[in-house]
Amino acid sequence: MAATTAQIAFAVLMGLLLAAVGAWLARVENWRSYAPTDGRAAAGERTGYARREKPAGFVRWLTTVDHKDVGLMYGAFALASFAWGGLAVLVMRTELLTPAGDVVAPTTYNALLTSHGITMLFLFGTPVIAAFANYFVPLLIGADDMAFPRINAIAFWLLPPAALLIWGGFFLPALGIDAGPAQTGWTMYAPLSTGAGGDAVGGAGVDLMLLGLHLSGISATMGAINFIATIFTERAEEVTWANLDIFSWTILTQSGLILFSFPLLGSALVMLLFDRNFGTTFFAVDGGGPLLWQHLFWFFGHPEVYILVLPPMGLVSYILPRFSGRRLFGFKFVVYSTLALGVLSFGVWAHHMFATGIDPRLRMSFMAVSIAIAIPSAVKTFNWITTMWNGSLRLTAPMLFCIGFVANFIIGGVTGVFEASIPVDLVLHDTYHVVAHFHYVIMGAIAFAIFAGAYYWFPIYTGRMYQRTLAKWHFWLSMVGTNLTFFPMILLGYGGMPRRYATYDLPVGPTEYFALLHQLATLGAFLLALGQIVFVWNLVQSWLEGPRVETGDPWGLERDDLLTNEWEWFDRKLETAVADGGSDGAATSAAEIRAAETARTAAAGGSNWSDAVEADKDGTERRT
Amino acid sequence: MSTEDSHEDHGHHLPAVQDWPRGFGEASWWPFVTALGGAGIYFGAGLYIMGSGNNQIVSPIAGPAVIVASVGLFLVGLYGWLYHAFVSHFWSRGADEESEAALRWGMIAFLGSELATFGAVFTYYFFIRAGAWPPQGAALPPLLNSLVLANTALLVASSFTLHWAHVGIRRENRRQFVLGLFVTLVLGTVFIAGQVLEYFEFIVHEGFTITSGIFASAFFGLTGLHGLHVSLGAVLLAIVLVRALAGQYSAERHVSVSTVSMYWHFVDVVWIFLVVVLYVGAAVGAA
Repeated sequence: MAATTAQIAFAVLMGLLLAAVGAWLARVENWRSYAPTDGRAAAGERTGYARREKPAGFVRWLTTVDHKDVGLMYGAFALASFAWGGLAVLVMRTELLTPAGDVVAPTTYNALLTSHGITMLFLFGTPVIAAFANYFVPLLIGADDMAFPRINAIAFWLLPPAALLIWGGFFLPALGIDAGPAQTGWTMYAPLSTGAGGDAVGGAGVDLMLLGLHLSGISATMGAINFIATIFTERAEEVTWANLDIFSWTILTQSGLILFSFPLLGSALVMLLFDRNFGTTFFAVDGGGPLLWQHLFWFFGHPEVYILVLPPMGLVSYILPRFSGRRLFGFKFVVYSTLALGVLSFGVWAHHMFATGIDPRLRMSFMAVSIAIAIPSAVKTFNWITTMWNGSLRLTAPMLFCIGFVANFIIGGVTGVFEASIPVDLVLHDTYHVVAHFHYVIMGAIAFAIFAGAYYWFPIYTGRMYQRTLAKWHFWLSMVGTNLTFFPMILLGYGGMPRRYATYDLPVGPTEYFALLHQLATLGAFLLALGQIVFVWNLVQSWLEGPRVETGDPWGLERDDLLTNEWEWFDRKLETAVADGGSDGAATSAAEIRAAETARTAAAGGSNWSDAVEADKDGTERRT
Repeated sequence: MSTEDSHEDHGHHLPAVQDWPRGFGEASWWPFVTALGGAGIYFGAGLYIMGSGNNQIVSPIAGPAVIVASVGLFLVGLYGWLYHAFVSHFWSRGADEESEAALRWGMIAFLGSELATFGAVFTYYFFIRAGAWPPQGAALPPLLNSLVLANTALLVASSFTLHWAHVGIRRENRRQFVLGLFVTLVLGTVFIAGQVLEYFEFIVHEGFTITSGIFASAFFGLTGLHGLHVSLGAVLLAIVLVRALAGQYSAERHVSVSTVSMYWHFVDVVWIFLVVVLYVGAAVGAA
């Protein structure tokens, strides 16, 4: 009886809530804060027409359907995730300084390990690529916006709640709920993930993580559909398939991969959720078994690798020629290799399962395809090298990161070819060699390309220039940090150190050798962290008070005939801003702004602020 | 100054002129509200899981409460979104070939992702089907009966009636269009009712539930997933029907009729594959 009453009361409550929402939405039109800004509040927007397009203040960000704003929000979200994943790994690296477990409990280590992997792949990697793609693909192909601006916005807004669910297990104890974070590793292998480890390992934290991952997958799929529709149908007339830029090509290919891999993971996650809670047998030993999970997971998981790496390869292919003074060598073959990687990436998944005892004939075919996938990757690498060959290189921060990408990608790629070979893999499987391999690609290459893009386009999305010296500190700390962290891991792998272990205080085995290498890796990780602090500092400070960029071509691309659509768009925007300068509220006229900038630049030591200054200097030298 | 679809000064097309908040071209509350509702459903599901089973760590009412509230919010957002993006100012909004092509490509891409969604569960079925059949321990329910045949006939017929309706609007034959849509929706609804009846028969009379062994997981997983898709299709058809009754659509303007048709035919094809593989395939192999 009491239950019935409660239910009726509950239904009434929900009805009232809905009515309240309706009333609120009806009122929303008259809300004062929607009063169009007079130019003061819309941050970063100095153009006159912005006043008619977006409301002022915080509401602008909650309601925006502008691809550029959505891109910036993706970027901010990805940076926050990067920080979470980075802090998690710093704790882990500190724990690994000594063989014994003396910093965190092994269960905490497992939870951090899980969170680090999931966060970096799903909440940093995919969103940060979406940030660049959202901001720049429409500008590059001459579109007004994405094909579906509202779907674009909703795809972003699903991500923060997804992150809360994925990280939820860490917060539950603080809320007084008796459950902890997931400790399954990012691969969520059954039977551990189906609850075989009991509540301590696989409690409610796993359920929340599965739900969060599913939500983030929906977000990624919506984004992919949007990019496909945009690149197919929204290109300006003069942008044809023949002259579509390389970054948009990689985004298109990546979206195709997302389309067929993320929904499959989504179904597998729901099946796992049902196994855990509703007694189905999808991954039970009697049913599909743990191997089915591995097949489904890696059918998603290996394309996911290319989902993460193709657009950064596109960024490098796009940016590296600008500072080599010449066009990308073998453009067509870079496009073909992108498409080849996209297709082949669906045929290599079982190389993650060489040690599971699957049929040797099956294993052999996957080994063949896995080795073959090195060919298109090598095509790209050689094209980057030949682009630079005899070019007039300008070692700006974005260029340094591109070159760093190529260097690290070679190490990451070559270690991968070894792992693709079954006999070698059976020795190296589940050791630190694998960790070194994919971190060389993910940190050493993917993240480097992201940094290259962040610096290269900094003038466009901030209207200002970053600080050159800090950017170079960021590069060298990252380059040294990456190699100091991950090269010892290759040796750890050869020594037989298993991955995922919280401690290595072994009665047998080369414990001292392991400890030394782990200490080097930990030192490298802290260097990396220091570099990223410099990065964020540079980003924030330069955004707030860097010198304004006055030209639509801050990199001097025009003289090499390498100027592209997004800079022409930026130039038009600057011209509009100058024309409308008088209406900008904060600084009363464009002339005054420029005067203030000049003074500030002088105070900051002039050339210290920008690579563009350097670019001009180099250009002059080259011409003389 | 009022916001127009495009500005003369820079020729920039503004995507969200009608939406709340009013008076801006690139601002809409609907994505945020819809995402909040959608994410709330996931939070509710999480709370439900934590509140059920032997180890209840949150109140069992919390999950359903959050789910119901979130579904409400989700629907409000979806309604506002669809209304402002497609329904209001139907005749005056720009309907250039470009935006039509975008919607068509959007649906094609979505259907591609659906292949993967169904693919995972079909893979499970093929995995267990590769083993000994029938599976040990649990008897298969009577899969091939008049109900499945009738349901298949209904769904196949509904694809034809929908196509008939589509031809109708392209020829400006409104009566044929509305009648075809209505019959399709009725057939689809009867199909869903038939599926519910089948579940009822299996669960209550045959004792064949989702926990009845390895075939039950495949059966309820696949038919359940498909049933959800048919239900979504019926909702989409209903929206199109209501808009048709309100006088929208013409031979030139009917892109949502096309996309909903694509979706409905896709769901129909999946069903035929499902019947052949899951119903006939399981019964034949067991004989």
